[in-house]
Amino acid sequence: MVDSIDKARDEFFSEAQEIIETYSRNLLAIDESLTGGHSDPTLVNEVFRAVHTLKGLAGLFGATAMGSLAHHLEDLLDDLRLGRAELTRAVLDLLFSSIDVFGKILEAERGGSEAAPQGLTNLLERLAQLAGHEEPEPAMVTDYELDPGMLAVLTEYEEHRLRSNLEQGLRLYRLRVKFDLATLDKALEEIKERAKRHGEIITYLPTGESSSIETIELDLLMASHDDLSMLIGSLASEHVIVEEVARKADLHGSPLSRGRSVRHEVSLPALSKPLGVPEENAEMALASPDRSLRSLTQTVRVDIRKLDRLMNIVGELAIVRSVLAKVADRVRTDGQPQLASELLRVHRNFERRLTEMQDGILEVRMVPLGQVFERLSRVVRQIGRELNKEIRFVITGAETEIDKLIVEELSDPLMHMIRNSIDHGIESAAERARVGKPNAGTIALNAFQKGNHVVIEIEDDGRGIDENALLQKALRLGKINLNEREELSREEILGLIFLPGVSTREVVDDVSGRGVGMDVVKTNISHLGGVIDVQSEPGIGTKMTITLPITLAIVSALLVKVGQDIFAMPLNSVSEALSFDGRGVRVVDGREVMTLRGQSLPLCRLARVLCLPEQDPRARKFVVVASVGSKRMGILVDYLIGQQDIVIKPLGKSLAHVRGFSGATELGDQRVGLVLDPAALIEEVLLSGENAREKGMRAHG
Amino acid sequence: MVRILLVEDSVSMRSFVRACLGSAQSALGEVEVVEAASGFDALRLLPRSHIDLVISDINMPDINGLELLNFVRTSEKYKDIPVLLISTQSSERDRKRGLALGATAYLPKPFSTEELLASTLAALGHRS
Amino acid sequence: MADLTRVERRGHLRRAAQVGPIREFLAFTLAGELYAVELTTIREIVSPPPITHVPRAASDVLGICSVRGLLVTVIDLRQRLRLGDGSGSQRTRILLSETASGEVVGLLVDEVRQVIRLGASEIEPVASVLGGEISAHVQGIGRPSSDAIVLLDLGSIVGA
Repeated sequence: MVDSIDKARDEFFSEAQEIIETYSRNLLAIDESLTGGHSDPTLVNEVFRAVHTLKGLAGLFGATAMGSLAHHLEDLLDDLRLGRAELTRAVLDLLFSSIDVFGKILEAERGGSEAAPQGLTNLLERLAQLAGHEEPEPAMVTDYELDPGMLAVLTEYEEHRLRSNLEQGLRLYRLRVKFDLATLDKALEEIKERAKRHGEIITYLPTGESSSIETIELDLLMASHDDLSMLIGSLASEHVIVEEVARKADLHGSPLSRGRSVRHEVSLPALSKPLGVPEENAEMALASPDRSLRSLTQTVRVDIRKLDRLMNIVGELAIVRSVLAKVADRVRTDGQPQLASELLRVHRNFERRLTEMQDGILEVRMVPLGQVFERLSRVVRQIGRELNKEIRFVITGAETEIDKLIVEELSDPLMHMIRNSIDHGIESAAERARVGKPNAGTIALNAFQKGNHVVIEIEDDGRGIDENALLQKALRLGKINLNEREELSREEILGLIFLPGVSTREVVDDVSGRGVGMDVVKTNISHLGGVIDVQSEPGIGTKMTITLPITLAIVSALLVKVGQDIFAMPLNSVSEALSFDGRGVRVVDGREVMTLRGQSLPLCRLARVLCLPEQDPRARKFVVVASVGSKRMGILVDYLIGQQDIVIKPLGKSLAHVRGFSGATELGDQRVGLVLDPAALIEEVLLSGENAREKGMRAHG
Repeated sequence: MVRILLVEDSVSMRSFVRACLGSAQSALGEVEVVEAASGFDALRLLPRSHIDLVISDINMPDINGLELLNFVRTSEKYKDIPVLLISTQSSERDRKRGLALGATAYLPKPFSTEELLASTLAALGHRS
Repeated sequence: MADLTRVERRGHLRRAAQVGPIREFLAFTLAGELYAVELTTIREIVSPPPITHVPRAASDVLGICSVRGLLVTVIDLRQRLRLGDGSGSQRTRILLSETASGEVVGLLVDEVRQVIRLGASEIEPVASVLGGEISAHVQGIGRPSSDAIVLLDLGSIVGA
């Protein structure tokens, strides 16, 4: 029993998380529709149901803080959906605040902590201030020829929806539909789609009459502005009969005489300009209540740990496959050619199936970036308000997919970059007016797939990066010296922003504290196997481009050895590997360089860079030519072991201070090998010989 | 053996109720819980096998608990199946409607394991 | 842990009544001395698998290893607490614990002893300075009998 209660508790957290996310999405949609000047009662009801469910769940599982907050919010939302309270900006802000507080409560409950999360008391106070609503009005006597039996089974909410539709003068229709139980879902979806184009479906009532055990008959009650003939034309069929529900007499006492205005048109608050939202986003958000309902029945919620385990197994199978190839070779040299070719056939088959499985699992791990982007919408809204700047947030490419693990790690860096953008990039309204820019600053988030990578661009139309200020700061912090200052290219100057300390503020303020430096963002991105680039035009704006591998999963790698240590280098950064005899090496500007086919190739002795004991300098070595973008470097190692498919796992935060690695991988036999990050190494060595190495060493002090 | 049809759209709620009912072996003997995530699912599952008790939430989209209850009560075949409604307390009106429509019992959330078991036992005792 | 006879069990119950709510600690040795951490902070105890050295990592990081596919950073607890070197033996073990950020890290200890139960009255708060790096991480001194066991706060050690 205890076991199943624990499992139920796990599912509670998982479900609560999902509900909070749906709640958040719906709030954003409500925000947008408010701005657009209309309101969608379905959304308010969805939000009510979300909070209502949370309350019920919290009560069952003893999550008292959550239950209490949900209870108060539920009262407010009930008033809102039943038209007893007005949905103002202030109310919406309060609801947005509740999302963060719920998130914190959930974390606290999960960790078993008793402490009341930050912001809870404040939120409850604000809720209390809003409370105090009118007495619920007496149930309206309907003047329609509705079967009293049908009225009796409407829930309070459904009755409210009925009333408000009638108040707005819509007509009432009853659709009698007959479905096969077997094809119920599909048929239902279909009729819902078609009916929703004409109006609102209030409820579905099984009639209790059916010709056989395999069929079901339902009455759909719906409200529509359209007339009967139009509805019949659109909806009627051999399974669907459309009838209008007749009115008995005129409504006596118009709604206005009750002294309350109809609360469905929500008044726009006095903002200088409404927060604009792109068409695509609004459409997506408004469409989601329906879409999410469908996906609930067709998707499976999977614990990411289970997927990790599957990936581990695939990784191990990849090793098995390599061993199989080697055995086949040995069998051949052992003089058994026929057996060898059979083994090779098996190996090829195995490889094909393994690739299929790998692809299949990778697909499961993929989630659309939209998940993270939606969360960012909230952050943008919040920061914009905090800093008193109007921000237009445009998202494109939200359907671009990437590994779930990467998505999880992306929200922090993206959030920091956006915060920096809003804080430093976007000018104040006054300044923008002065230079003729539109009032609202625009931040555009774009994502697309490019081969084996996903590219995310964050662009703002702010003031751009001040190169001089950047240079000054870097000078002051000792990151560059006066000579270097003269010689840095534009690209390199902008790159200074990624050095520790350079992009944080001098003065701590309330809003973002010192801010998180771009160096941390860059490290986070490189731990995910990605790179980040910055472009900027003074007065015009700044654009950051993040390139990430689609998945952290299996890559082909070259295994090398330095002394006794084995390292892996992702093959897509390796252009070639050759043996090295030490001849033709010159020293240019303090750095070792060799000539390869007429071009000079900077060298890096891996042992030296990693502070490992160097082997006999006269022993034969190998050069692995790493190339990232337009930069190339020859990495000197002691042995080449061979090619292997590996599963790269990220290093934990405890090793965040270590540069030059993008993770580690299992090498079979429980041994672990570090995976080199060629981009980081190239940068470290080429940045400036001595300087960089010192930095590398200082980093782990 | 007792077969209970559980109609509830929240996954963790279903999990919880199922866990509670699972512990009722000693009192009820073997218990099989058939889960429905919506009123439609319930309609599909009712004809499939003999149901001894329906436990249903009231507030569900599309076909709500009251409508399901009404369907059960007005059907020749299912009218004697006891129905236990679970829902929040905040709608007194819904509660009254539920009882008026013939719910065997009404259990407001949040409820404890004991309360659920007691209500289940009581509702089953009404079996004819 | 040795099986308890009925007599011992009763004795434990009586003791519980006298000393207050019991907390369980895992005792181990480091450089010859006895230490313990709250049992609930330990996820698992494993025999050290092959540990890969991580170049340029902090000096008390022994390296990384794989525990059933999970990548774990292994910290030399002796070094982290600046207790001086010791020699490895067959009995060294790695204690796995979860940090505040959700990462699982491993702590290498010389030898794992046993689970010790301490009531509130058997734990002395740390008044005196113990010297070395260690005092920041000490939760208290446990005295179940005449021996003193230094109780460490694992959270502050791995968070550090």
